[in-house]
Amino acid sequence: MTTEQGAEQVVAVIGGGPAGLAAARTAADLGARVALIERLDFLGGMPIIENYAAITPNLEPAEVAMGRMTAAVEGDPRIEVLLGSEVTSCEGEAGGFTLALAVPGGSRQLTAGAVVVATGFQHFDPGRETQMYGYYEFPDVIALQDLEAMLKDHHVVRPSNGEPPARICFVQCVGSRDRQIGNEYCSKVCCGIASKEAIEVRQQLPGCEVFIFYIDMRMYGYWENQIYWPAQEQHHVQYVKGVISEVLPKGDRLLVRGEDTTMGRPMEVLMDLVVLSVGMEPSPGTRKMAAVLGIRQNRYGFIDAAHPPLDTVSTSRPGVFAAGAALGPADLEDSVSTGAAAASRAVALLRSPVGA
Amino acid sequence: MKAEAVAGFEEVSYEEKRRLFEEIKSDLRFPDYLYGCYECGICVAVCPSARFYDFSPRRIAQAAAREDVELVYQQMQEDIWECSQCFSCLRCPRGNNPGGIITIMREVAVNHGLASAKEALEGYSRIIYKIMSTGTQVSPDMLQPDAFPDWGPEVADVSNQLALWRRALPPETLHTTSTGWDVSERTLIELYLIWLETGALDMIRDVDEGLHMILEEVMEERLEEEGIER
Amino acid sequence: MPIPVEVMLKKKERFERDPDTVPADFHDELFRLEAEGELVVQRVPDGVPVVEVPTKYGRPKLVPKGHLWHHKSCGQCGHIPGYSTSIFWVMRKLGYDYEDPRDQTSCTAWNYYASATSNEAAQAAVALRNFATAYESGYFPLIHCGTSYGHYKEVRAELLRHPELRAEVRRVMDKLGKPVVLPEEIVHYSEWFYAMRDEIAAHQVRDFSGIAVTVHPACHYYKLVEGDAIYDPDVYGGQRTAVVTALAEALGAEVRSYSTWFDCCGFGFRHILVQRDFTRSFATIRKIEVMKEEADPDVVLTHDTGCVTTLDKSQFAAQAHGRNVGVAVMSEAQFAALAMGAHPYKVCQLHWHSADYRPLLEKMGIDWEQAWAEFEADVARLERGEKEFLSWEDVDA
Repeated sequence: MTTEQGAEQVVAVIGGGPAGLAAARTAADLGARVALIERLDFLGGMPIIENYAAITPNLEPAEVAMGRMTAAVEGDPRIEVLLGSEVTSCEGEAGGFTLALAVPGGSRQLTAGAVVVATGFQHFDPGRETQMYGYYEFPDVIALQDLEAMLKDHHVVRPSNGEPPARICFVQCVGSRDRQIGNEYCSKVCCGIASKEAIEVRQQLPGCEVFIFYIDMRMYGYWENQIYWPAQEQHHVQYVKGVISEVLPKGDRLLVRGEDTTMGRPMEVLMDLVVLSVGMEPSPGTRKMAAVLGIRQNRYGFIDAAHPPLDTVSTSRPGVFAAGAALGPADLEDSVSTGAAAASRAVALLRSPVGA
Repeated sequence: MKAEAVAGFEEVSYEEKRRLFEEIKSDLRFPDYLYGCYECGICVAVCPSARFYDFSPRRIAQAAAREDVELVYQQMQEDIWECSQCFSCLRCPRGNNPGGIITIMREVAVNHGLASAKEALEGYSRIIYKIMSTGTQVSPDMLQPDAFPDWGPEVADVSNQLALWRRALPPETLHTTSTGWDVSERTLIELYLIWLETGALDMIRDVDEGLHMILEEVMEERLEEEGIER
Repeated sequence: MPIPVEVMLKKKERFERDPDTVPADFHDELFRLEAEGELVVQRVPDGVPVVEVPTKYGRPKLVPKGHLWHHKSCGQCGHIPGYSTSIFWVMRKLGYDYEDPRDQTSCTAWNYYASATSNEAAQAAVALRNFATAYESGYFPLIHCGTSYGHYKEVRAELLRHPELRAEVRRVMDKLGKPVVLPEEIVHYSEWFYAMRDEIAAHQVRDFSGIAVTVHPACHYYKLVEGDAIYDPDVYGGQRTAVVTALAEALGAEVRSYSTWFDCCGFGFRHILVQRDFTRSFATIRKIEVMKEEADPDVVLTHDTGCVTTLDKSQFAAQAHGRNVGVAVMSEAQFAALAMGAHPYKVCQLHWHSADYRPLLEKMGIDWEQAWAEFEADVARLERGEKEFLSWEDVDA
């Protein structure tokens, strides 16, 4: 079904992850036609790209949850899904945008009354210059998303030798809350995700000791008793306040160093596997779309919400809204909520007699 | 068992401790060295002194951030002299510099002639004398077996053969024994002017009065010889 | 189906720097102040070949090959003179001109970090006096000591940041009749050795393929104002500073890692002089014993005065306590000189060192007994008054 006619009735959603899927679904439910533009060949976003095992906090398999969202969109006749496609330019103004797209085999134009940017995040690269965790040096130093992939396949092993680990630790705040790197924000979800993964490891490998080294445990709202308390009380995950300064090999294991701040002295322990809780940064897609759409970014490169805190989805360009992790660190609930909010603002725009 | 003066149990008024803290805080560098601290412990993890002493750069940053003048004063008694000034603590993700805060605390301790500064610098006067008056440090002739008995047998060899072994060095400036290298007269005069003009020499007045007197004499005499007005 | 570990490993082959991240560069402020007439920036010398080296945040750094003003280290010159001698010797062998100044003072940072019997303005003035002197000579400063290097970077940062400090220091410089000068790069001699490592290797005459090395990087080199330090994607994947390691590898030695690589040596500035149990214990327990147990090196290489002193001088007393010590310690400059055929005593002056270096020399194929006899013969000539000093020609004879 084409969307060239009645352009003013179309909402263009850029990005097919959780926020984009929620936006597309909501806009369609509100009666608009939707063009969902996704760069990759499949929908689902980060949970699918990075092989997430289970989503936080209720541990439903990510593929199943995202599968539901994707199926709802793919099955909806009001939504045109454009895979393998990218927006290359956006002219016009609220109520009447003309987007140029690069699609498989060529290009095409699309007219829309409103745009929702849901291009998401990328994981912080722990090989960056101030990090001394050896992510690129030591195979047994991995990141949260690497462990997700292993958990999904019920195959948690040390990459160095293929053996299951007897002792693993998580290192929190890698690439976040750091003035030296410049990511001075908290990435919000890593405490919950690390704890969730810790629980999953303890379930899959009951003999494996699991530690989490942290600065603060960010367990806001219900995560406190949905994740944190069970992790400690049922699954005996050991939480140590004092984050890791460096990781070096010792023999065939890894030596991690930190301060056990409870004891108030330096500590060194041997681990089989070190999992870095990497933070969120704007994805290349978010940076690109910010430039293409001419919308303001904040100093970290995320899309700047124009009127926080009460309006979380407007950007600096009227008619262009943003949702999900493109705005900054977000969990799934944030993403689907802002996706729906952006969609309703977009549809309201379509329906109003004059522009935004 | 430390003397009361050094252990900090001496009767020092709160106002005095507050004044010392304010002096630390008003140092030009202080805002660069202290932001906030979320007690992550990275500074302690990397600190060599934390492994050997009951010392914690985290406690230094915390005390300063909380403006806990009592604790800061306490730390000026022993803790600050345990720091090895390696600046491993610059790993701090907040951008703090506990080692730098300690440098400032030490300067204030020295400026006020605190007993702890005097004790920490006991046996150190020769070093200050050498660097301030000659512009080089720990000169060859200071390598005596009784001064460095633990460094190894070569210290005695060096000491016995000093003049000859120094002549057996090809670099033209290294034939000296009382200085590390041959420092020109003009350079020494410039150095003395720096110590005097910046008030650096006066800092040691309360730490080692005798040393201060000798150095002041040496420097002022030399400048007078050159006809330099201050 | 289990994810093959190769798939996981393939995900992270090599760190690629994000092109969107542009590092902060002190040069912006440095050149701004120069434009406003607040200070003079000494550029790398004209007409001198310059090497561009990679630094921690990706900014290329300039290292001039020649026409250098050797800012000597008081500790090296005082009690490890083979260190300074080797730096000069290698530079001479490669044919680059230099200045060995008499109008240089110590950076005085050893005393400053030990006792704090000085202040910001004095330390900055000492630094600037040396920089102005180099500038006036036309030669570009090359810093011999890691402490000096770290301290001068610190001074530079403070001067760029605080106009009040600049004003005070200008007042002192005016009294000395000297301009306020900062070099456009603060270059450590180990960075020169890094930049020249292929040229050095081309002059190598001794085979180091059987030599196992552990490297100790100096705290003040890479932890203090860390953006200036050299990080090379080909050395530890750019995750650890590349100086010393890159040179040792270029000379064919086997560089071995150990689990306390990032630890300080324990010098302590004050401790090594008046509280040596700390320095000795730390160096022994955290560095030497770990190196010996995990890496079993033939030599420990480092690039700073304090580190050589600490690691070399801590072993004698530790041995008396039955600790697992006993490995040669030297600078990479002395190591490079030996590779290029330098005399172990006339150039590297190893008789000033404490830990036993003879097994290392034997492994290098050097007859140290004969070498010592040669050196003693030279010393005897000095004693007889045949010569006043050993010359550069004498040491290569």
